[in-house]
Amino acid sequence: MSDSPLIVVRSLAKRLGGFVALEDMSLAAERGTIHAVVGESGAGKSVMARILAGIERPDGGAIEIDGHKVAIDSPNAARKHGLAVVLQQTALFPDLSVLANLFVNREPVQSGLIARREMQARSFALLRELGLVVDVGAPLGELSAAERQLVGIARALLDHPRLLALDEPCEALDRSQADRLFAVLRELKARGMIMLYLTNRLEEALALADQVTVMRNGRDVLSKPRSDLTPTEEAMIGQLGLTLFPLPLRSLSNVAGTLRPQLTVSGLSGGRLADVEFSARAGEITGLAGLPGSGVSDLLAMLFGQRRARRGKVRFPDGDGLPKSRTEAARRGICLTSGRAGNGLMADKSIAFNLSSVVVGARDWGRRWYSPKTATERAARQVEALRIRSGSDELAGSLSAGGRRKVAFGRWLEIGPQVVLLDEPARGIDIGSKQEIYALIRQMAACGCVVLLHSTQMSELAGLCDRVIAFREGRIAGDVAGAEMDAAALRRLITGDAAAAAQEPATTSQRDAA
Amino acid sequence: MTSADTSPRLAGSAAAKTKPNLRLPAETGVVVALAVLVGLLGWLQRPFLEPANLFALLEQAALPGIVAVGMVFVLTIREIDLSVGAMFHLTAVVAAVLIAAGVDPWLSAFAGVALGMCLGLANGLLALALRVPVIAVTLGTWWMADGLSSVIGKGQAIAPSTGEGNFFPALSGKVFGLVPASVVIFILLAVTLQTVLHRTRFGYRVQATGSNPEAAAHAGIATATVRLMALALMGAVAGLAGVIHLGAQGTVAPADGNGLALFAITAALLGGTRLSGGHGSVIGAAIGALVIQVALSGMALLGVDGAWESFAIGALLVAALAADYLGRIWRSHRAERRLATRRG
Repeated sequence: MSDSPLIVVRSLAKRLGGFVALEDMSLAAERGTIHAVVGESGAGKSVMARILAGIERPDGGAIEIDGHKVAIDSPNAARKHGLAVVLQQTALFPDLSVLANLFVNREPVQSGLIARREMQARSFALLRELGLVVDVGAPLGELSAAERQLVGIARALLDHPRLLALDEPCEALDRSQADRLFAVLRELKARGMIMLYLTNRLEEALALADQVTVMRNGRDVLSKPRSDLTPTEEAMIGQLGLTLFPLPLRSLSNVAGTLRPQLTVSGLSGGRLADVEFSARAGEITGLAGLPGSGVSDLLAMLFGQRRARRGKVRFPDGDGLPKSRTEAARRGICLTSGRAGNGLMADKSIAFNLSSVVVGARDWGRRWYSPKTATERAARQVEALRIRSGSDELAGSLSAGGRRKVAFGRWLEIGPQVVLLDEPARGIDIGSKQEIYALIRQMAACGCVVLLHSTQMSELAGLCDRVIAFREGRIAGDVAGAEMDAAALRRLITGDAAAAAQEPATTSQRDAA
Repeated sequence: MTSADTSPRLAGSAAAKTKPNLRLPAETGVVVALAVLVGLLGWLQRPFLEPANLFALLEQAALPGIVAVGMVFVLTIREIDLSVGAMFHLTAVVAAVLIAAGVDPWLSAFAGVALGMCLGLANGLLALALRVPVIAVTLGTWWMADGLSSVIGKGQAIAPSTGEGNFFPALSGKVFGLVPASVVIFILLAVTLQTVLHRTRFGYRVQATGSNPEAAAHAGIATATVRLMALALMGAVAGLAGVIHLGAQGTVAPADGNGLALFAITAALLGGTRLSGGHGSVIGAAIGALVIQVALSGMALLGVDGAWESFAIGALLVAALAADYLGRIWRSHRAERRLATRRG
């Protein structure tokens, strides 16, 4: 294409604890192009973004800008080299105003005071271009997830960077917002800016990019101009995710009984959720599809006793209603495992300690004593069954994200749960662990648990679930099962956009493979 | 339920057998410090090692030690209780007033401990209701309890008549004619609470709550109850110390219990308890209290001006923190190296 690439990444490597996040990642981004990096979540995209942003330092490899090797050892250094990175979970300040968030750490100053007027003037045009119509004086926390994402992008653009890296920018956006963002990105490209677009959705990448690099397990496996990609190659990239999902274990569904225990929800409201009604059968994986903010997380939190319901009735397989607290939920065999940050593990305690946290911590029956020996035996059992690649006396904090997720599952497996609530259980972990977690979810369903699986990745739901209920803005938008359950259809349901399907390529029909 | 497994076994997925690496208990540092201090002082000043001197030292360390032992639970749930000194004083004053009013001394002592427990519970309930850290609430209750003791005791020393009953003789006396009663209680309490913290369900919950409150709540641990119980325990222990103080001294002076909270926190930190929560050592805190007391009495023995006492305690803690930091660096360095060799 053009002469010399502006930024070259050479065999970048990064180890996080005992886990190799990036092994040998290389790419070269040409001037005036949009360069998409496609990979499953957990492939190492976010780690690369954090390295480019100067938040993490690589263990090996080099980053060259204009042919010179540069060291990006702080966010300020990244900014100095003209790199702006919009991270997936952007570090914004919910209590500060939108304007303050846009100009954090580089507020224009006039005679020693922050010049609010100038900030407004400088951001006005950009915000309009991005289609962000909000009161810039309002605290950021009052904005929706999509608006916050756009604020993060606007903040990066205010630096007038030469290279803009976006990590999953469309995850929180609906179709029209995404289209508007794409238009802005194309406009920026025309002005000569380079963009790195990191995503796990192939269709986004194909729609937008001039150059596509496919990333897998911390390596670049394919890098080609978009125009050179053959349809077979496109299909091949699309298929990469397919092998992830194990075959369904149809052990219980074959039993022709109608008396299987059920979880029945009727007229439930609370949080963003309004008047939701459905039931989920034991032995099946019931998918809950919804964008962030659609209320599905609220639903799971209510079922787990973490959040109060405003109205409505729920009947659990044990015959009782909603648990009043997480402790009650744990005692009744209702468990929630979430892939979001914040409810992880006790990182400074051993794996064995963590695996005991439900059995010893939540239950009020059984022995009053805590025996480290019993805990170790218990842990040895789970470490073996879940294939956690560390000894049970090592600290939970030394595990990879995948290992931690397995421990989070393992502590519930010890009590043999009846209702398994999963809130993006495979988010942000490596492919190997993902595969094992998916197999585990299948097994739990086959063992007669009621499994509710929430995910924002439609391919995950389509590949794993027996039935998917789609949520949009707190209400049920559809209920699909069997052959009509594919990623494109689900996305159409949750975004409520009939045109969406036409713009997406015929989706990798996951059901046929599964 | 995990026995049936369909997913393909991944290469290298079998759990690698790791060499069990030697892990020193958290109390190692403070034990070494105590041994060095005692050895050094014994070498410099022969009389220091005489049993009478050592027991006197233990007796001095017993009361702050008892409070420190309770403080470990509070620090382990990632909180700080500033009000222990005032609780100590208030319970002693109330018990003294009750005895002076003619109530049975043992009953009064029990009332003192119960009062301490209620005060601790009140701290916890306030922190829960107002959703503020315990340190903020206890800063308030410290002033309040302090004021109450002045009101009840009228700002004067209270010395109830020690004549009747066996309460005062029992607490000021010596077991086997050698070991002061307060020392016996101190040691028994330390051993009991060490077991409670590391070998019971309650202790497990305390550690889990302090290590990561959100994760603990998510695993179904009733963290609010755990907090309340830890603070009630702290109050009861402070009350116990106050009552023992009254029994051993026969009197309560207005300044008793000043600085006790900071002493207890210092002793606990010396003993390997972490301010960041989740890790506590009751035995370590008890030995930490001894280290401070040995250092103080050693200074007196060597003829250092008493004005340097506070400085010495502070220097001791700063030195301990520095040693701990160096130890952490060394350990992480070693872990990196081990990882590198495993990788080949």
